[in-house]
Amino acid sequence: MAILVKASGLTKKYGDLVAVAGIDFEIREGECFGFLGPNGAGKTTTVRMIHCVSPVTSGILTVGGMPSGINNRGLKMITGVIPQEINLDNDLTVAENLVVFARFFDIGRREAKARIAELLRFVELEAKAGSKISDLSTGMKRRLLIARALINRPRLIVADEPTTGLDPQARHLIWQRLRQLKTQGTTLVLTTQYMEEAQQLCDRIVVMYQGRILKEGTPASLVEGEIGREVVEIRVPPEDDAKILGHLAGFDCAHERVGDTLYFYCREGHGLMKKLLELDLPNTLNRPATLEDVFLKLTGRSLHE
Amino acid sequence: MSLSYRIAYVFLRNLYSYKRFIVPTFLVSLVEPLFYLVTFGIGMGAYMGAFGGQPYLHFLVPGVLATAAMMSSSFECLYGTYIKIVHEKVYDSLIATPVSADEAVAGDIAWASFRGLVSGSLMMGVALVMGVAPASLWRAALLIVFLVFIGVLFGSLAMIVTSVAPSFDFFSYYTELVVTPMFFFSGVFFPLDNFPGWMKTLAEFLPLTHAVRISRAVFTGQPAPGLGWSLAGLVALAAVVFTVSIRMMRKRLIK
Repeated sequence: MAILVKASGLTKKYGDLVAVAGIDFEIREGECFGFLGPNGAGKTTTVRMIHCVSPVTSGILTVGGMPSGINNRGLKMITGVIPQEINLDNDLTVAENLVVFARFFDIGRREAKARIAELLRFVELEAKAGSKISDLSTGMKRRLLIARALINRPRLIVADEPTTGLDPQARHLIWQRLRQLKTQGTTLVLTTQYMEEAQQLCDRIVVMYQGRILKEGTPASLVEGEIGREVVEIRVPPEDDAKILGHLAGFDCAHERVGDTLYFYCREGHGLMKKLLELDLPNTLNRPATLEDVFLKLTGRSLHE
Repeated sequence: MSLSYRIAYVFLRNLYSYKRFIVPTFLVSLVEPLFYLVTFGIGMGAYMGAFGGQPYLHFLVPGVLATAAMMSSSFECLYGTYIKIVHEKVYDSLIATPVSADEAVAGDIAWASFRGLVSGSLMMGVALVMGVAPASLWRAALLIVFLVFIGVLFGSLAMIVTSVAPSFDFFSYYTELVVTPMFFFSGVFFPLDNFPGWMKTLAEFLPLTHAVRISRAVFTGQPAPGLGWSLAGLVALAAVVFTVSIRMMRKRLIK
């Protein structure tokens, strides 16, 4: 597959603060590429440079072979942006929001009308065309943001935490729509803090932390490589660690103590669980390893505020 | 600067949003001039006799026209734009499209100028009903053009203030320390002849002084000395503040 977005040594500084510290990545045409990371990791800053609203401090960033830049109208014409913050135009109705946006992209009146009807159907908001923005639920607003991002039939969609603050129904509807776009050949760039979202949508992800990329790969390969297949959690006080570790000495599993829990990361947790039964511990759990385990392992368990 | 026909799209966006407020804003734009004209023009004017060979109301109206255009365009670029940047995030969504930040700002200045034009024209309409009309039809047309220009000038000036405003409260400095003094010391209500020399000199530095002078000359058809200089100065100032306002807003919007 052809490369659509290419970054090398990409850096963004705000004064002395380094938000993105010289990262390299390549996004292929037609894939969904995810930026994962805690708050302040540099995900949003990176995607803002990709969709040309924030200037690059140094390094190279190209989209479709063109260098990204704030006045690159050509790139903005082929990009759709689903912002993190709901920035719909509150003074306008649902349909007017789309009408005005269509003009911004030089789309003629007649074409816009047909396109808007089609998009409102796509995000299931046909009945709300004349509604005020303030009368929409958060889920409806997020869906309208998607419709708005699609008005120019973009080749590249940048979605910055597109499901923040949504209930599971609304979130799943948005995931379905984003997957649908991908099957139509649109390239998707996603930032998220929800590991399930990344697992559901992304072909490849990078984990960012403090402006750097820590790891890159498919969700499955990252889980397998960093954690293993299964996780055993034992909620016991730290005093019991020595006894448990002694009892499980024969197993080739990494372990970690975090707060009230002792974690074991294994290729296969069944044998370990069986052995644990002999100790008769009350709170043990054997579950498949997830991207969340990878995320916490790479970015640490302390709060990022 | 990155300016193109897309300025019109930003203007269009504002027109859409204005639809919902059109009745209240028209009413406000009508009531305020009525107050000025009734209190100062009729109430006070009755005691003043003729003013340079004309009724006081004829002296007052052109000055109030220019002031109305200044006020409307200033407030639009102060409060209106600030709300669009900070609260409604309209600018954020705009600059992610092929519309540039420069065009977004220029579009808002154009819009502010339109609001100034509406206020000034409504005031002219009210004055007309009260029997005060421009000296001729082409002078009325010329005044309309001039109102648009006043809007661009004062809208850009206000835009500079907005580009550095940390909060709403900041605007009080500008309105209380710049706009209000201009309102009183620019010869809107009385000729500046009786001011002491230094105050007269100071008044010459207020752009509204020149705007009122031009507006009055166009309205009444009575030539005033130094009119060409007034116009040249205002045009030069407008060119500078427009350019500076776009540069400074760009700094605020693009990070």
